[in-house]
Amino acid sequence: MQNLIEYAPLLARGALTTILLALAALALATALGGLGAAGKIRGGMLLRSLVFGYTTIVRGVPDLVLILLIYFGGQRLINIAGKAAGIEYMELSKFWAGVAAIGFIYGAYLTETFRGAYLTVPGGQREAAMSLGMRPLQVLRAVTLPQLVRFALPGYANVWQVLIKSTAVVSVIGLEDLVGLANDAGKSVREPFLFFSAVFFTYLFFTWVSQTIFNAAERRYALKELGDAV
Amino acid sequence: MIKIILAAAAASSFALAANATAINICVEGAYPPFSSTEASGEVVGFDIDIANALAAEMGMEATMVKTDWDGIIPALLEGKCDAIIASMSITEDRKQVIDFSAKYYSSPASFLGADGMSVDMLDGKVVGVQRGTIHQDFMEGEFPNVELRLYGSQDEVYLDLTAGRIDAAMGDAIAMQDGFAKTDAGAGYSLFGPSYSVPEYHGEGEGVGVRQEDTELRDAFSAAILAIRASGEYAAINDKYFDIDIYGGE
Repeated sequence: MQNLIEYAPLLARGALTTILLALAALALATALGGLGAAGKIRGGMLLRSLVFGYTTIVRGVPDLVLILLIYFGGQRLINIAGKAAGIEYMELSKFWAGVAAIGFIYGAYLTETFRGAYLTVPGGQREAAMSLGMRPLQVLRAVTLPQLVRFALPGYANVWQVLIKSTAVVSVIGLEDLVGLANDAGKSVREPFLFFSAVFFTYLFFTWVSQTIFNAAERRYALKELGDAV
Repeated sequence: MIKIILAAAAASSFALAANATAINICVEGAYPPFSSTEASGEVVGFDIDIANALAAEMGMEATMVKTDWDGIIPALLEGKCDAIIASMSITEDRKQVIDFSAKYYSSPASFLGADGMSVDMLDGKVVGVQRGTIHQDFMEGEFPNVELRLYGSQDEVYLDLTAGRIDAAMGDAIAMQDGFAKTDAGAGYSLFGPSYSVPEYHGEGEGVGVRQEDTELRDAFSAAILAIRASGEYAAINDKYFDIDIYGGE
């Protein structure tokens, strides 16, 4: 226990890295998911097959493989490109390699979440809004998006819960996240069980906090008057 | 985001160019007493002291890059560090991909188990080793009747030994003695059987790993090892961690 207290600041630093990594990856995944969903719904033949390829490949490959591929393979690409351009050596940051890999992976899941949510909004509502003379962007903002958020939130919350847990795999590339640091510290003082228990409760805390936030968001976007209308 | 990566990359490559005598060294940070992580996040241990002493001898400034064991050779090959000082044994298999300096220490391999174990009790028993090490090759080649269980790190081997999932462990004698048998967690366990040092498996000892094209750096490391041996600096570091001189035969 003494060891755990001594190492607490180090673990806190790791926890901060984990959270920042997860949030940055979620931002990237949300952007990719939005683009992917738009491509799948509105895109032409080529764009749709591109997005289809993206979601199929990414959802079919383990996170760990993609991380290693992006970090070490990406570094090789940079080295080759750098050599050709006459630049000596450029370091691919561990943090951004992790963000890229995790964001890329969960963008594929969010593509499906957003697409599903969009398709759940009845098409008649868009047509009704258009018939009132609203422009497409206005329709999106005032009619489609608020409902889309409501339908997408449960799936989005689910993806986030899985995403934050999957950040643990970045420790294999030596990024000093919560799991990586707890692993090194636990082995260094030979109390891995104690340190991994601390990690266990920290992750539970993260997911509990995010669950609370998402529950609040779901209440906020729920249609309260729905009960009266039906 | 790409901009940020490029900016960060440009900044770090500039730093490298500005200080030509800097050297990045990959270390493990999870293999006490050779390499372990402090509460401050700093890596310490025999490997790190040796790395600093060698760099100083070569007139360089060493920066430790903590890298997971499984990713340590790729990290060297892709230029994330310039040398590996992580108690890595010099073997023919590894020489296919990287090159090594002369050894900086050499310790025999040994079995570890509950007090009273002996080698002739091993048939049909379960023995744990760290995956991808010379000890795995040794066990597969010399003890075919033993069931092997592979682990990502030496500490996982100790954990499962105390948990009773394996009957014995095979590994580096010094690391197991100092890193486990002498500690509270290792009460009731000790090394048993002979000390194994078969060149076919155990190679020439532990060396500094470098990329194959860096022959000058390799020779500089070899010379620096001999220099700190001669100056007594090696002995000072050695005595900080071990009762015996772990350099082995000259």
